Amino acid sequence: MAEARYAPQTAMVKFTMILVGVVLILMMTFGLIMRLNQSGMIEIDPILFYEILTAHGAGMVGTAGLTGAAIMWYFMGRYVPLVGAVYAIFLGLFLLGVVLILGAIFVGGYAGAWTFLYPLPAMSGGLWSGGAAAIFLLGYISIGVGFLLMHLEVGRQLIRAYGGVGGALAWPLIFGKGKPEDAPPASVIAAMASTIFNVLGIVVGAAVLVASIVNLLVPGFAVNALLAKNMIYIFGHIFINAAIYMAVIAVYEIVPEYTGKPWRASRVFAISWSVILLFVVIIYPHHLLQDVAMPAWALVMGQIISYLSGIPLLAVTAFSLLVYLRAGPVKWDLASALLVLGVAGWTVGVVPAVLDGMIMVNRVMHNTQWVPGHFHIYLLLGVVAMGFGFMAWLVRDARTAGFGTLDRLGVGVFLTGGAGFTLMFLISGAMSIPRRWADHAPEWQPQAVIASGFAVLTILGALLIVVLYLRGLTARKRA
Amino acid sequence: MQMTVLAISLVVMALISLVFIGAIRSGGRAQAPGSVERRRLALILAMLAVGIVVTIASLRPWPQAVAMTADTPTINVTGGQWYWEIDNTELPQGVPVIFNAHTEDVTHGFGVMNDVGRLLFQVQVMPGYVNQVQYVFDTPGEYTVVCLEYCGVAHHAMITDFTVVTNQGGDDNG
Ligand SMILES: [Cu+2]
Repeated sequence: MAEARYAPQTAMVKFTMILVGVVLILMMTFGLIMRLNQSGMIEIDPILFYEILTAHGAGMVGTAGLTGAAIMWYFMGRYVPLVGAVYAIFLGLFLLGVVLILGAIFVGGYAGAWTFLYPLPAMSGGLWSGGAAAIFLLGYISIGVGFLLMHLEVGRQLIRAYGGVGGALAWPLIFGKGKPEDAPPASVIAAMASTIFNVLGIVVGAAVLVASIVNLLVPGFAVNALLAKNMIYIFGHIFINAAIYMAVIAVYEIVPEYTGKPWRASRVFAISWSVILLFVVIIYPHHLLQDVAMPAWALVMGQIISYLSGIPLLAVTAFSLLVYLRAGPVKWDLASALLVLGVAGWTVGVVPAVLDGMIMVNRVMHNTQWVPGHFHIYLLLGVVAMGFGFMAWLVRDARTAGFGTLDRLGVGVFLTGGAGFTLMFLISGAMSIPRRWADHAPEWQPQAVIASGFAVLTILGALLIVVLYLRGLTARKRA
Repeated sequence: MQMTVLAISLVVMALISLVFIGAIRSGGRAQAPGSVERRRLALILAMLAVGIVVTIASLRPWPQAVAMTADTPTINVTGGQWYWEIDNTELPQGVPVIFNAHTEDVTHGFGVMNDVGRLLFQVQVMPGYVNQVQYVFDTPGEYTVVCLEYCGVAHHAMITDFTVVTNQGGDDNG
């Protein structure tokens, strides 16, 4: 919407979103298989269950990251001249990583979960070899290096075009030195902030990955388990948040096309993105609230920042979107509906997340199904919805104008399935049902039966939306 | 606790959803734009105020406090792939009990449920550390120990139990 100076690399991004769509459906099917097994309706070997759990976690986090990266790359391509070869290398390293990870899991039998919590990769109880674990971790490193290159290219170009990191983050506006008209576009600020914290997180992740690999090769090389856990959660938390914060760029860039008003970077907007940048880096101890060996101040900080980080989201992105929706008639179609759903889902998902970030609540909710409950809300109904909205927008010229019957069906089924599915996680968590258990006690099975039904709906809705995208890619342009 | 948290979550989530639905239904003719930034500021200040109150109320007393006296019963719990070992399985009712949790191998999660399957507390069990958690069992009966940190392929089978017995004034269980 804001003045676009360059042409984005559309073909590679469209191809990426095909991959995203296909992998999402596959990973959702893995999720369904796990819920069906917990419900007792099917029975699979626990070894296979935990392999699927590992693949589902790594696959979904990776796909969320890929979605965010594709969105950021596409829209930054409007403002700065990005080198296309970097994106090709990023995608190549990503796919190499996927092959390594899938091989490690389904050939090597690695089932140490996507979090590779030290020293589990090296101590499988005889189920997988150190080699399989090492290949899994190498897969992560390949993906991490790809992200690093992609971010460095985006960061380099933004710094050059907007006069340094501070310029791209609109610091002059924050400190009252600039006019809002001169500030960078909203999406540039978001891209700069996401790039900084994701690079930081990936560097920490690379360090703990390398340490874990050395530990696999040289068993005498021990790592402090608490330090490793801190590093893993810094990396994991930042990476998944970067996925969300990059995906929201689609909202900043596309929604104005539907409302006719640009998403202006106000002073509050600029401040909140610099605050997010800080919060995302220091919030991670809220994953360690049951690690009593942690210093108490770190846990208190985790609880407080976990709450505070909801404020910029609610008061800036969600609030502004609501203002846009109320201020002018919105042309509804598949893209705008999914993007609004994405912001709503993200906002709603923050509620159970913030409650879980309280130490006294966490004591009885941590690692119950409450945890997948809250993050499935803002990943499935947040990031995935934003990614789907971006896909629908990419092929808007080839589709019938307006909000057609199939479009409504896709959104309706996906939303019904997703809402029911995530709600069952929250209810199950409140009933103390643990997460990541292959076998569920008989009294826990009905919840998994209901969740499986909603999972089927979610997959059908997602499948329809992906098919509409593929059809849009192959259809001829609307006159 | 859990049901209260669920209820609060559902109410706030429903309210946020209603605000979005209201904005979508408004069809873009709902408001005078002049007061937008004032209302945004009010929202931020209101969230900060709620946050300060809830933070203070929820951290005092410190939820993970462990107060050890000479006669506090102390139980050693050891987790390993894939079993729990508890050195005393008859615990006293009504007095603070301290668990010292160790692991033989990977990280586990020591979680205790009551006889209706409600999770009462948990603590991570980490290599190289002894993690302490304190709890007062108000009701005698059977309690179940589960593992709440994924630890490999028999993670879900790491279950054991202990009993809480009526305390007749003695504290010689430790
Ligand atoms: Cu365990």
